[in-house]
Amino acid sequence: MTPLTLDDAAMLLMQLEVSDTTDLALVRDALTALAFENRVPLTAQPFVARAARVLGTLINGTAANGVAAMQEVSAAIDDAMRAADGLAPSVPSVPSVVTVPSVVTVPSVVTARTGVVPTPVAEATPAMAVVDVDRLPDDADRDLLPDFLTESLECVSASENALLQLEGNPGDEEAVNTVFRAFHTVKGTSAFLGLARVAAFAHEAESLLSRVRDKEIRYTRGCADLSLRAADMLKALLSVVHTALATDGRLPVPPGYQALLDALAGYDPEQHANGVSAQPTALSESASLAAAPAKARPDSTADTTIRVRTDRLDRLIDMVGELVIAQSMIAGDDHFGTAKQHDLLRKVTHAGKIVRELQDLSMSMRMVPLRATFQKLARVVRDTSVKAGKTVQFITDGDDVEIDRNMVDLLSDPLVHMVRNAVDHGVEPPQEREGQGKTPSGFVRLHAYHASGNVVVELRDDGRGLHRDKLVQKAIEKGLIESDKGMSDSDVFNLIFAPGFSTADKITDISGRGVGMDVVRRNLELIRGRIDITSAPGQGSTFAIRLPLTLAVTDGMLVRVGEERFIIPLTHIHMSFRPEPSMLSTVVGKGEVVLLRGELLPIVPLHRLFGVPNAVHSPLDGLLMIVGDGARRTALLVDDLLGQQQVVAKTLGDGLGKVPGVSGGAILQDGRVGLILDVTETVALVQSPDPQLPYVDLRERRDVRDLAA
Amino acid sequence: MNTQANVSTAVLARAGKYLTFFLADEEYGLEILKVSEIIGLQPITRVPRMPDFVRGVINLRGKVIPIMDLRRKFDMETDGMQDSCIIVVQMRGIQTGIVVDRVSEVVAVAEAEIEDAPSFGAGIHTEFLLGIAKSGGRVKLLLDIDRVLRTSEIEALEAAQLHES
Repeated sequence: MTPLTLDDAAMLLMQLEVSDTTDLALVRDALTALAFENRVPLTAQPFVARAARVLGTLINGTAANGVAAMQEVSAAIDDAMRAADGLAPSVPSVPSVVTVPSVVTVPSVVTARTGVVPTPVAEATPAMAVVDVDRLPDDADRDLLPDFLTESLECVSASENALLQLEGNPGDEEAVNTVFRAFHTVKGTSAFLGLARVAAFAHEAESLLSRVRDKEIRYTRGCADLSLRAADMLKALLSVVHTALATDGRLPVPPGYQALLDALAGYDPEQHANGVSAQPTALSESASLAAAPAKARPDSTADTTIRVRTDRLDRLIDMVGELVIAQSMIAGDDHFGTAKQHDLLRKVTHAGKIVRELQDLSMSMRMVPLRATFQKLARVVRDTSVKAGKTVQFITDGDDVEIDRNMVDLLSDPLVHMVRNAVDHGVEPPQEREGQGKTPSGFVRLHAYHASGNVVVELRDDGRGLHRDKLVQKAIEKGLIESDKGMSDSDVFNLIFAPGFSTADKITDISGRGVGMDVVRRNLELIRGRIDITSAPGQGSTFAIRLPLTLAVTDGMLVRVGEERFIIPLTHIHMSFRPEPSMLSTVVGKGEVVLLRGELLPIVPLHRLFGVPNAVHSPLDGLLMIVGDGARRTALLVDDLLGQQQVVAKTLGDGLGKVPGVSGGAILQDGRVGLILDVTETVALVQSPDPQLPYVDLRERRDVRDLAA
Repeated sequence: MNTQANVSTAVLARAGKYLTFFLADEEYGLEILKVSEIIGLQPITRVPRMPDFVRGVINLRGKVIPIMDLRRKFDMETDGMQDSCIIVVQMRGIQTGIVVDRVSEVVAVAEAEIEDAPSFGAGIHTEFLLGIAKSGGRVKLLLDIDRVLRTSEIEALEAAQLHES
């Protein structure tokens, strides 16, 4: 499409009839491009957008009155032209934008969008000065807004990361461009959707960056702060839109909006060179070090992606799982026993290979790299270190390691907490470090890697480390333990996960309020993660989080109890064995216990807990499986082990509600449903004070009686 | 019809097509729009610690859905049960299977043929019924399946809570 100017558009329109929809569409596209690619001044953009929108109604035939609509379009273009030459405001970025090819091509989101959106919706309010708009525009297309929000938030995150890179290397032009493009895209789309305030703010942020890009001002610390705050404000503005969308459509001004807008507009490099809010100059060192992850340059435009609703994806994975079962049923068919069917068997095997590859592929579709999570943490380190007056070098490694999309959010919070802790409590202040012969700047390293089928995320700092004695003393004070006799270092370190335990000598506003590590551990348990601590005083600590690759697939042990089968997650099983008569004894004639290497463990017969008929009653005939942790270690009595199996965990259907002791179901290889045991809950069921509950009386259960009959 | 149904109560909405099936010797009707499919009987995995009308769960093409037994739900005689198939009903996106002795037919029931369920006094629950239809010389009990499943959901939940407390 040859670039059209406003004049061209006006000329064309005069020659066109209402019915020439094809040509009108061309003009509409041209106008859209004009508005988006910044080839008209910002003040004119809303008018251009309005013209395009009205044209849209003409094209798809929803305009009430064709002639009137045409007039409206002409009027809008007139307004746009007047705004363009007459009142051209000082928009320094505009002329330069045209010459930078990257900008024209960049808003890939946007260009893709113009095709999709037949009736672009825009408010006729000038995007600039208007800040008192307090509602979503009435004609805003609410279907488009959620996508706009997601895209914009992605843009802002990308810009945030680039800003952090910039701090390390102020000459990084590509980073400046990334930020600039991000703000620009947000501005373009929000103006088009009639979100005047977002657009106006993004415009100011963009202007600041364009001044940096054009080497008009240097990217100083003050400038960096301002830009980061601008990114935050954009996020706040977007979340306001998000709330408005869900509620009454009111758009309140986020606090500090006007001040920041003024600061952006009136930014003077001389005056603010050392930071808008006077920052200690010593900190600039940490800034340069924060650039370490720069080698993993975010290149969001490199991968073309498509958004798919997760429920569809889940359904696809389900169907592929079914396909695998159906295929293995065919392959296992008796017909293949005879030599005659050799040819057919070969074909079936071939199909099986394809099916398995398809399964791997469908599983990988849920996986996302940890990069975004790590980027967020870079920001956390920066903010925390500034607040705590420390200099910290943050290094990330392995941010291309992928984990299940569902786990990312659950992993993020614990990591933020731990990183804060590492910076706030772990790393010492510069003077203290120097006194110990360490480099003044601390060191926090986040490293993700694969290890034996798990993903390990390791957080290491070179700070104070954990002091065993201090922890023990604190734990005794809090009444958690009586003495540390017989406790290994790792037992002691694990005390920090106890509720209400905080080792910080003083409470800061960053961390150390005693709510913390217990929440961390709980959150990690939700995603079946385990955390291990290694630490040496003065040398720093290492927290290693071990996570399954995906939540969708559980490594389980299939066990038989009577005629029923259960799946016990492998992570919960310590060992299983066939007990000797000498290991068993009873307590008050009823409860059975097993003595295993000096440890007394209660025996829980699963058949009794779950009312399974025809099961093995004596531990001597069955198998004992040690599950659970610490005080909850228990020996489950099962009939037999059927083997290890990877299963896809599913809910039992919403109609059932919560089933005690069962976390879900899985389709087994024969196509039947197997129940996945929730070990923690099962053990809790046994230990519940109400004695009748764990042991369901078989005779009272009609279903059991029926099954037995 | 939709707008009318909103104005007047369920009375008007009762006329329509019903899928009828047998539980023991009684014929029941389900609104056809709530039925998503009829499948052959499959091996049912029992779910422990559930009320006994919850027979368990099955694999419906990769999805796990619960299976209810209305005979147990209604406290009917369960001797001589001959489960032959499962009717999968769908309400508000939740799929649930119901085991029945046999599926009979799809009938159109006119409003004039429907009577309110009589009250039998204590012990006999009729609140699950939309009404009783007398078409084709036989009596068909029209089920308010939403209510049947809703209460079962609540009961299952209560049972679960009872176990926990």
